[in-house]
Amino acid sequence: MATITEKTKEEVKEVVYSFFAEECEVDIEQINENTSIIKDLDGDSLMFLELIEIFKKKYNLDIELKVIGKYAVKHPVSTIGQLIEMQLLIIEHENRLLDIEP
Amino acid sequence: MSQDVVITGMSLITSLGLSYEENWKNLVAGKSGVKNITLFDAGALATRFAAEVPNEFEELSRTYIKKRAASQMTRVTRMCVTAAKIAVEDAGINFDLADRTRCSVIIGVVNTGNSSAEKDTSPQNTVFKTMTNSMPAWISLEYQLAGPNFAVNTACASSAYAIAFGFEMIKSGQADVVIVGGADSIINFEEIQGFNALYALSVANDTPESASKPFSHDRDGFVIGEGAGVLILESKKHALARNARIHAEIAGYSLTSEGYNIMAPMKDGEGMAQTMELAIKNAGIKKEDVGYINAHGTSTELNDRYETMAIRKVFGDFANQVPVSSSKSMLGHTIGAAGAIEAIITVQSLKYGILPPTINYLQPDPDLDLDFVPNVARPKKIRFALSNSFGFGGHNATIVLKKI
Repeated sequence: MATITEKTKEEVKEVVYSFFAEECEVDIEQINENTSIIKDLDGDSLMFLELIEIFKKKYNLDIELKVIGKYAVKHPVSTIGQLIEMQLLIIEHENRLLDIEP
Repeated sequence: MSQDVVITGMSLITSLGLSYEENWKNLVAGKSGVKNITLFDAGALATRFAAEVPNEFEELSRTYIKKRAASQMTRVTRMCVTAAKIAVEDAGINFDLADRTRCSVIIGVVNTGNSSAEKDTSPQNTVFKTMTNSMPAWISLEYQLAGPNFAVNTACASSAYAIAFGFEMIKSGQADVVIVGGADSIINFEEIQGFNALYALSVANDTPESASKPFSHDRDGFVIGEGAGVLILESKKHALARNARIHAEIAGYSLTSEGYNIMAPMKDGEGMAQTMELAIKNAGIKKEDVGYINAHGTSTELNDRYETMAIRKVFGDFANQVPVSSSKSMLGHTIGAAGAIEAIITVQSLKYGILPPTINYLQPDPDLDLDFVPNVARPKKIRFALSNSFGFGGHNATIVLKKI
């Protein structure tokens, strides 16, 4: 279980913002926490998977996709802010992500 | 109530250009799009030339397809989607004003082009690049169309079948608008090697521009081409209601199967003849009404021989008065895209009253005695024309087009 520092939060935010700016061909200034991934950026669900792969490598995470899938069903993500929150939880809890559920 | 079916939008991407206007200009000039292969190292192959789409396509494609979506498409799928978007622009359709449940997409797809020549394939996009329904799916997604969207594979007749099915959907009142067409490229090592093994391809490596010589005595096989052709089919009523410009009308069609051989056409062109006969009947016209035939004309020994015999059988003595030409002499054989590409060329012939030539026709085959519009385009006003497509496996199609 990793500790999420301010530096981690900044890193994740930067990666997510840059990723969507690059892939969706928008200025990074146009993206904020309330930006809708589908409606505003014309993004797709595959982008979420690609980001997970990026963070798995970056933080050497031990996380199975099915764990994230089960969590995402109950906690759907539609905005950039929600996506960053989920990525931070994945980094923090890895395969024990489902344990944090009430 | 039966609906008349018209063509209100078109788009061509081929070795001779990235628009139907540019293609038409080059076709009428009798130019060849065939060159040495640049898409991969073809040095070890018996055939080292093909009709490749110009590199400028990549820039054009970027203006029509977002980077994100493009990364999930093959180059061939991008050709199809780009062509579809240009055809929609050409038709001037605003789908917000249409009933999207009555708008469909039917694309002839033999393969998606996810071959060894394809770049940037990764585990994340392999499925999307390989699924054969990807072309109609992307087009449908682009415009949020809710009518049926699907791919049809009947080898080299695929996009002619797509036109026929689209025609039928509108004719029978199931749809108002159908985006039809095809895109294909088999310019890759494995497929050229495979067709070489069947002795189906020309091996005239020293003279690529003149290698495709349909109906000529010295023809030695077909030349591979690539590209996309997309047409917007619309009920005449729907088109007139929005004051659309109409390119031409589809008068009828015929689809048949030979049940004969996986590769060779039925002996003496019997299946081809039956297909043309049925198409003329379906269109409700007389044989003497046919002013031009855009032939399948592959430049192979058997196709050209049997197609000539079939035309002679259908038209009898009148065959001498029906000009026949093969666009493949200039564009090569674009396989799944050929039916749509050649239907569009036929529409241009009807519109402008000019017949594109069969180029490289320097040694007439004494057994093939039709008017093949040799080497030079010819002015001729025509009201009806046939576009033939015949595929490996015995898939035959003839589309009947009518001048507006």
